[in-house]
Amino acid sequence: MTSLIARFRGKQQTSQESYYTAGQFALIRSRFARKTSGVIAGWILGTLVLLGLFAPFFSPSDPSIRGADTSYQRGAPQIIKFKDENGFSWRPFTYTYSKPDSGFDLSSLAAGGSLDALDALTSSGALDASEQNRYEIDRNQRRYIQFFVEGWEYSVLSIESLDIDIRWNLHLFGVENGQIHLMGTDEDGKDVFSRTLHAIWVTISIAVVALIVKLLVSLLVGGVSGYFGGRVDAILMSFTEAVRVIPSIPVYLACAVMLAGLELTPTQRYFAIAVVIGALDFAALGRRLRTHILTERNQDYVLAAQLSGASTGRIIWRHLVPSFSSYIIVDTLINFPYVILAETSLSFLGLGLTEPVNSLGVLLQKAQDPDIQQNMVWQFFPVVVFVALIMAFVFVGDALRDAADPYSEQNK
Amino acid sequence: MLLESLISFLADTWLLWILVGIRVTLFWQARRSQYFHYVLNRYMLALITLLLVSGIVFSLMEVLPGDCAEKIIAYKNTQGETITQADIDAERARLGLDKPMPVRWLNWVTDLTLNGDLGYSCAKRQSVNLALGDRFWMSFWFCVAGLAFAYLIAVPFGILSAYALNQPWKDRNPRHSTVKRSINSLGLAANKLLDLLLRMISYLGLALPNFLLALTIILFYVFAGESAPTGLFSDQWNNEPWFNDQGFQTGKLVDFMGHIWLPIFVIGWAATALQLQTVRALVVDESSKLYVEAARARGVSGTALWIRYPVRHSISPLFNSIGFDFQRVFNDLPIVALVIGLTDAAALLIEALAMTNDQELAAGILFLVALVVISMNFLTDTILAAVDPRVRNSVLGAGGH
Repeated sequence: MTSLIARFRGKQQTSQESYYTAGQFALIRSRFARKTSGVIAGWILGTLVLLGLFAPFFSPSDPSIRGADTSYQRGAPQIIKFKDENGFSWRPFTYTYSKPDSGFDLSSLAAGGSLDALDALTSSGALDASEQNRYEIDRNQRRYIQFFVEGWEYSVLSIESLDIDIRWNLHLFGVENGQIHLMGTDEDGKDVFSRTLHAIWVTISIAVVALIVKLLVSLLVGGVSGYFGGRVDAILMSFTEAVRVIPSIPVYLACAVMLAGLELTPTQRYFAIAVVIGALDFAALGRRLRTHILTERNQDYVLAAQLSGASTGRIIWRHLVPSFSSYIIVDTLINFPYVILAETSLSFLGLGLTEPVNSLGVLLQKAQDPDIQQNMVWQFFPVVVFVALIMAFVFVGDALRDAADPYSEQNK
Repeated sequence: MLLESLISFLADTWLLWILVGIRVTLFWQARRSQYFHYVLNRYMLALITLLLVSGIVFSLMEVLPGDCAEKIIAYKNTQGETITQADIDAERARLGLDKPMPVRWLNWVTDLTLNGDLGYSCAKRQSVNLALGDRFWMSFWFCVAGLAFAYLIAVPFGILSAYALNQPWKDRNPRHSTVKRSINSLGLAANKLLDLLLRMISYLGLALPNFLLALTIILFYVFAGESAPTGLFSDQWNNEPWFNDQGFQTGKLVDFMGHIWLPIFVIGWAATALQLQTVRALVVDESSKLYVEAARARGVSGTALWIRYPVRHSISPLFNSIGFDFQRVFNDLPIVALVIGLTDAAALLIEALAMTNDQELAAGILFLVALVVISMNFLTDTILAAVDPRVRNSVLGAGGH
């Protein structure tokens, strides 16, 4: 943010001397700081990632079925107010919501058991889905929002093998009695806001695992192919080319169908999907690495390393790859949205992660339910977060790509 | 008698003769021309890649559960016959499924190269070629139209974006008068804002997953109280022929156009974001090269400079990537087809993979898509080598690699 302010004041940040002695990453950082859209997107992205990382702290209720609010199922978002006809309060508040008496009695059905009674009940509209969303607001019973309240317990750090499990129960905000639902609740009464926050981290961590796997496979293929050249290169590259021309989503699908046949716990399934997405996506980066290493391997410093007795793996890993690291980092960041989208597509088809897990893909999948489209529009909140997340990633990626380009400096 | 058997032999092996014919023609030409030597190289490389693709696709399908024998027997079971494990084994032996995978793959590839036969789909109980029919071409044209849509938007606005990238927000040139400076600043700011807005819109296409976009559009129709343009035709025109007694039916064409824009728009919008990023990066790369500076020093400036130098040079890598762009667009098509209710090859692919586990059909479709991508790559490579002198020098000078 300081860089942004400095930018508007027209302050020159880099003095000549520090500019010429700056390292590669310092240069990228200073160039990145000059891209307004990139910096703003970076702040949004950082906020979202932090919200996701510390999701238990920021979310007022437990996103799992344990935290489901049975007294407020299918409930609309509760609006936070400072003022109403009963006066003004510095402390924000919401109201107490209660389910009205459903108004239909089943006794007529039980007594006569005739179909006419059932017809009358159905046509009266009492059974409509939209009717079930209706809650009575008691405007005289305010629920004041408390900050740093103690609520449901979550684990901050949990390592099973070492038997460490630190638990905490402090939350950023909550209400005294009952629960607060900023973005409403779903069919089971699970808080949509809390679910979305937890989903961000699940989705990002899938992408991180997938990208790490992708990076490793690309390094292996590109490094070996580029370093050895000749026949190894020809075989590996024609294989890469063949993988590249097959559309990836159907291939993920086939793998996901296979995974569905295996007995897996949700965690194993989650990692398996990430690994499948990552491992099959090596073609583009692998090729770029190979081209780069092909041109670099005849440089003098590689010869020097060889003469000093460095092993092949060490030359690739310690000498050739670092010369390419900025490209790798930028490419990885640019690929984030695509990996997240792949996970979403799989979840949409019901072959990725599935219901009790909170991932953005799972939450987005619900958007195709006609009941939700018509009666519970607030469940589209994850869509908004998802779009913001992807957009932030793309804009940061764009700005980084420009910043990492060493030629972009020539014109200034 | 001899003639008949010759004709039937040729009919069974026509594809092989075409492939060999192209190979021989190219080889003949390559003896005299270095260019055709390069084309021949590309051709052989494409064939090898196709062989590899068929291997990958075939082994991928092995992971899907179930096989042909089980499906056929399961069908017989619904007809009221009782089944034993021995029956399944006998069926496997009859279909040759008990042979090891490489042998079956070899059989599949041989059938394919001899007469373009993609095998027999057990779930649909008809040959894959018949099950696909025109549907593959339908998917093909969807992708081409979506791609055209993406290019039409991405190329001009990618260039604009690259142009706006290295421009300041304000004109601070001291040689300009104050009035001129403020007018220039206004233009620059407008450029920058337009660039930002267009990038936002195109990236929104990326950030909104395809299925959500399609759903949203359909939802708007539902709220407006009209029938959503799902499928290819409305019920009224579905069974009408294109031509009747009065000649061509314009109404059917109008109805078709009213439905076809939705899938094209949805997949096109998503593809635009990536294209825009690519065009932008390419033009930015080119625009900072020395020859542009040299042209500027000679006094070329403004739009003329941009169109004649960096833009012209960044077209060829873009043209070169058409094959892979097609693959990327096809990637998105299945889910869109599922939401919109199309019945093209992409929808068949999803059905075959996720629902009926129809290995043969899925393998056929995947192979065909790969075939299209590889042919497109082959064509763009040869055309570029013929047209673009830079490419020609680099590929021919290095001895055709």
